[in-house]
Amino acid sequence: MKQVININFQGRVVPIEVTAFELLKNYTESLSRHFANEEGKEEIINDIESRIGELFQERITKGATCITEDDVNAIIKNMGRPEEFEAMDDTQTQSTASSSTSQEQSSAGNTQPTGNKRLFRDENDKVLGGVCSGLANYFNIDVVIVRIIFVVLLFSGIGFLTYIIMWIAVPSSATTQIGGARKKLFRNPDEKLIAGVCSGIGNYFGINAWIPRVLFLLPFLSFISRWGRWGGFLDFGDVVRFTFSPTSLIVYIILWIVIPEAITTSEKLEMKGEKVDMNSIKASVMEEMKGVGKKASTFGKEASSVVSEKASAVAGDVKNFSKRNRGGLGNVIAMIAKIFAYFIIGCVGFALVMALFGLAIASIGLFPLKDFLIGGDYQNLFAWGTLIFFIAVPIIGIITWIIRKIARSKSNSNILGWSFGALWVIGWVCIVLLGASISRDFNYNSKNLTEQDIALNNPTIDKLEITAKSPLYKYNRSRFLRFEPFQGIQEDTAYVNNVDVRIVKATNDSFRITVIKTATGRARNIAEENAARIQYSGVQKDSVLLMDKGIAINKTDKFRNQRVVLTIYVPVGKRIKIDKSISWFNDVHFGNNWDNGDWYYDSDSDAQDWKTGVEYKMGADGQLYTLKGVPAGKEGRTKVTINSNGIEVITDNNNNGDDNYRYNSGEPMNKIDSMKVKLENEKQKIKDSLEKAKEKIEKQLEKIGDNIEPTPLSSQLPAFSPLMEII
Amino acid sequence: MNIDNTASQMRKGVLEFCILSIIKEGEAYPSDIIEKMKAANLNILEGTLYPLLTRLKNAELLSYRWEESTSGPPRKYFTLTEKGAGFYKELEATWFELANAVRALTNTEQENINNNNFNNPQ
Repeated sequence: MKQVININFQGRVVPIEVTAFELLKNYTESLSRHFANEEGKEEIINDIESRIGELFQERITKGATCITEDDVNAIIKNMGRPEEFEAMDDTQTQSTASSSTSQEQSSAGNTQPTGNKRLFRDENDKVLGGVCSGLANYFNIDVVIVRIIFVVLLFSGIGFLTYIIMWIAVPSSATTQIGGARKKLFRNPDEKLIAGVCSGIGNYFGINAWIPRVLFLLPFLSFISRWGRWGGFLDFGDVVRFTFSPTSLIVYIILWIVIPEAITTSEKLEMKGEKVDMNSIKASVMEEMKGVGKKASTFGKEASSVVSEKASAVAGDVKNFSKRNRGGLGNVIAMIAKIFAYFIIGCVGFALVMALFGLAIASIGLFPLKDFLIGGDYQNLFAWGTLIFFIAVPIIGIITWIIRKIARSKSNSNILGWSFGALWVIGWVCIVLLGASISRDFNYNSKNLTEQDIALNNPTIDKLEITAKSPLYKYNRSRFLRFEPFQGIQEDTAYVNNVDVRIVKATNDSFRITVIKTATGRARNIAEENAARIQYSGVQKDSVLLMDKGIAINKTDKFRNQRVVLTIYVPVGKRIKIDKSISWFNDVHFGNNWDNGDWYYDSDSDAQDWKTGVEYKMGADGQLYTLKGVPAGKEGRTKVTINSNGIEVITDNNNNGDDNYRYNSGEPMNKIDSMKVKLENEKQKIKDSLEKAKEKIEKQLEKIGDNIEPTPLSSQLPAFSPLMEII
Repeated sequence: MNIDNTASQMRKGVLEFCILSIIKEGEAYPSDIIEKMKAANLNILEGTLYPLLTRLKNAELLSYRWEESTSGPPRKYFTLTEKGAGFYKELEATWFELANAVRALTNTEQENINNNNFNNPQ
């Protein structure tokens, strides 16, 4: 049983079987491709078609009810397939075609270029799928270069995916040569679970549809097992959890968009690669055997002619332009402005794309932290909306657009563009709402700033060393993404190291350690509650005080800028050492708290400039000194003492350059206001000490007399430049 | 060297000459031309004939007229132009020259020159 349709062929109504019609259509298409370069192409094809029409008519007058597949095959056999014409026709190309660079070869009457270059995978010069050689042909560069680029990209992992996607998305050059007799990748609407991508792939590779399905599901499963440990998806229902997998889902969606659905019979035949007809396969094999280099040379010819055409077009443009140019200078300016505009638009576009990709990576990194930051159904909804619509959608859209652009897919993409745009607008709404909602959580600061004592077993000890309990979980450090205040995540607890350490001179002779806890919240009282919930304490063991590594935050508390100021009161003459494991000055926080004028602890009484990992002694002036008597902050630098004995130069080696990196280089660059305040104080201090030093020196200089030129010394003395050494 | 290649190149070289000589005999319709060639044991694909005819026509060696047909679309009947006749004359002269030369060189009983015996020892 076969469906018969009526077609208008060369002015006559012809009843024809659907499959026969598809054959005929493919045949005429292959003819028009074959004669694309021929002068009088329409005429030739018209002649052939009218002959075919005549033959059809003959059959019908003989009593046939319709034109069958066999009829069409017989006619095609008589007429010959384009590839057979070539064997008859264009033999001189063949003889020289073994090198793909035979571009100068052009047969008579065959010089008209198509001017319509498309990206194809080159079936004749392939290692794997012909992607590289296709690209090389398209851009007219050496295939070796493209291959090297791909191999390099392969190591970074991007190349592999790109190659696979292009292998699938870019049509094979074979499809142009033979009238659609090859298999093509289509989505299979007859046998689909979601969009028929998997069963289409199965058809393409001649395998059961379940194999690609399992391959798509595997990343899902591993993803779930990997991420499930954090329990990060519990509050969003099992459906999302099951269908969300960043890689395979995105790949699936891209394939869904890129691969056309097999709608017509011929497309279905092509999809299954069923013998559209035996001849074509035989012909394609024959052609494969015969003209390996031929197609490459066709490509080369086409490419060169296109290039030369383009070049002459450009030359013409330039000529025109220079002609017009005589008219006025305005054109030049207009053109330059245009170029600038395009350049700027290009830059902005590029930056946008890069920013999006950055956001995507950042959001993947932030994902395990999600539950510590946002709470409530709305925020979760918005977070998901942001992730999917704001970040994933444009990325998929851009990738799809690029692929379609390169592959010159027919663009019915107005709808596509609009729907992407609409989804992105949803994404914008989500991100704005999410941002507003989150920022409200950081709106109010806690006001209760009472210092809570940490009990010390033996406060009158001579020396106190403060160190952190070993970090519980280190894996966050080894990962390529690390978000500063979050020290590590363990099951349902995140550690935030917003710990600020200050050292103050004690009023009596015992150590005292206090903590001030602050946090933010949606309202003042919530902020106070959040602050009160902070657990931060320490245990003294002899001269060592073990403090918590960070502030533990669980998923119910959430991250609300919890912050601890650890104040250490050190008696005069006693020693203190802060271990490097105590992180400090981590001023990473959200919102505008901390600097909103609510409070700021009095930093004048604080010891300045101390570093972690160095032992200090508390001086009577409230400043810290190293054991050698160098003021804190000047370790590792030169101390010049000038007295009646002469000039003494001491280089303090106590600190072997293991400065706390973050403190030294981070602080001056830190633009957060609190830091600025500190910086101001610091500057003042430095100024003061400079003044003092100057006075001292001047006094001593007076003593020594005029033997020594004062200027060089005084200029050397403010040895605050860290690299300066006088020996 | 590929024997098929060489053979088809030879055939291709004489194809235009053959077509012109058929049309010279009188107005011809493409399928007539094919039939006559078949009768002379020169098999070509119909599809290759149309582009050749078009090229010859574009070179103003041929002209054609439409004729309504009872069985299908109107047909094109080709005739030689004056220029085509001159062209044919020249080709004919060249052909006989060539045929004689080949005959003399190959020195075989000539049955059919079109049926090329290429791999003869020199």
